[in-house]
Amino acid sequence: MKKLIGIGVAVIVAVALGFAGWLFLGRDPMSFAGGAPVALEDYKGGNITGVPAQLAGADLVKRGAYLIHAADCQACHTTPGGVPFAGGFAFNMPFGTLYSTNITPDKQTGIGNYTDAQFLAAVHKGIRADGEKLYPAMPYASYALMTDADALAIKAYLFTLAPVRAPPKQDQLSWPFNQRALLALWNGAFNPDERFRPDTGQSPQWNRGAYLAEAMGHCGECHTPRNPAFALDNHRKFAGALTAGWRAYNITSDKASGLGDWTDEDIYLYLSTGHANGHGGSAGPMGEATDNSLSYLVPDDVHALVTYLRSIPAHASDLPRTVTTPAPASHKEGLVAEADPRGEKIFAGACASCHDWTGVSPVTGYATLTGVRAVNDPNATNVAQTVINGVARKTSQGKIFMPAFGEGYSDDDIAAVANYVTARFGAKGAHLTGGDVADLRKQASQKPNSQEAPHG
Amino acid sequence: MLTLTINGQSREVDAPEDMPLLWVLRDHLGLVGTKYGCGIAQCGVCTVHVGGKPVRSCQLTVGDVGTRAVVTIEAVGNTPHGAKVQQAWMEAAVPQCGYCQAGQIMSATALLDSNPNPDDSDIDAAMAGNLCRCGTYIRIRRAIKNAAAKSA
Repeated sequence: MKKLIGIGVAVIVAVALGFAGWLFLGRDPMSFAGGAPVALEDYKGGNITGVPAQLAGADLVKRGAYLIHAADCQACHTTPGGVPFAGGFAFNMPFGTLYSTNITPDKQTGIGNYTDAQFLAAVHKGIRADGEKLYPAMPYASYALMTDADALAIKAYLFTLAPVRAPPKQDQLSWPFNQRALLALWNGAFNPDERFRPDTGQSPQWNRGAYLAEAMGHCGECHTPRNPAFALDNHRKFAGALTAGWRAYNITSDKASGLGDWTDEDIYLYLSTGHANGHGGSAGPMGEATDNSLSYLVPDDVHALVTYLRSIPAHASDLPRTVTTPAPASHKEGLVAEADPRGEKIFAGACASCHDWTGVSPVTGYATLTGVRAVNDPNATNVAQTVINGVARKTSQGKIFMPAFGEGYSDDDIAAVANYVTARFGAKGAHLTGGDVADLRKQASQKPNSQEAPHG
Repeated sequence: MLTLTINGQSREVDAPEDMPLLWVLRDHLGLVGTKYGCGIAQCGVCTVHVGGKPVRSCQLTVGDVGTRAVVTIEAVGNTPHGAKVQQAWMEAAVPQCGYCQAGQIMSATALLDSNPNPDDSDIDAAMAGNLCRCGTYIRIRRAIKNAAAKSA
């Protein structure tokens, strides 16, 4: 009997260790590349960290401005319509709500008293000046790869901003998640706190792209699925995940559900402008990433990101292959049996004038639905979010606008139109309920956004 | 300088590319038959034809018009369906206050251009984006059917 118990315990321990090892191995975002990583100072392939060549002679603050865009600090440290970097952005997690902090140089409520060492500890280790641990909503496990010089250039830029008095909002987390001390365990397991190590088996351009994607842009924080401990599971690197109520798509090389069918030019345009013809445009969190971060990168850096993305091993996700043919011109053709009459009615009144019954917009390529991933996602997550929140992006190509229908339409209406749109223009119709839409609203909720439609 | 084809004529316009076509029509070209309503493509009052399709001119930037021909309410009566729609509109005394009617007539004409014999559901699908605060919908539907009957 004792022997049996002993074997049972041994099996449980082995499985637990195996699982822990599997989680542990999943933490390295660049292990897929194999190769021979070396310390940055031993790398002979040229500068792959810091600013691009054309800014090499710029002063510290200018370099910091470029790098803070590359690291996209602003999107999370700013509320919609709020003062940039003053914090207060809500992260709605399954176990409660967290708020981002004020990183303007205000001495009482911001980071005005942070020394260089304290700033580096926050960026690399997730430790605040007062010694408390930050939650990994702050992507310090990614930023740990950032060089000290780059982090301090960002600090120098932040310290030129006008200090904003914005006290931290009270987090609302349930036990045990409200015990910050427990994060020591998480950090031990998932944040090796090591700087970026270039891979000598790869080109300098790949290494630059890797640095920008992993240490700065922290793409994986949204695009890589998480393990049961809420750390990134790089066994399925960039295979797509649901974050903040929006779907971050599969950006691996998978042909059906990733970027395998996109040309380099498509990826380049999507990253730099937030739109690629035939693939749709970015909205929601990726719209913010485009407008606050990626659109500021110099062309060489965007090309480096393309090179890096191209190297990500294919992982299939459960999304069907994108439909790239337009729907018929008549509302009676195409799907009929599956169509939700309520959804069709709403589409006719509110959507068809710009999106057309075919899905090919007569107004602007930004409004074309054909080939767009959101309408080919049978969960309709991003269709519903876009209907609720609208699109209001300012780009170098002009404004991209869609009204926000969330205040004017009920949850049932939004579910009906999202189901109709995915069925008519996508691979498979969604089956959202009003309850699902209410839940999506909650997950993406920020302080009520009072942005009105432009009048007069 | 942009060159547009408006109502069959070539027109030169000195306007920024991101200006809505509606502004160009009303303020630059004096074609004020097309009205401004909601400004977010939700009322249909600013509808014009661009490349034969009904388009909300408040959302279409002039730079995106390209070489497509633009027809407005001022000239839609010169097209076969446009003339029949306008005649049917008068016979049914469709308008009440009239503000939305230019957009209604443009959408109705585009419908007949693509579908000369629309049934009720076709009319709903094509006209649902054109709002009428006076509630003239019943007369609009009747007038479209009358115009279609004349076309036959």
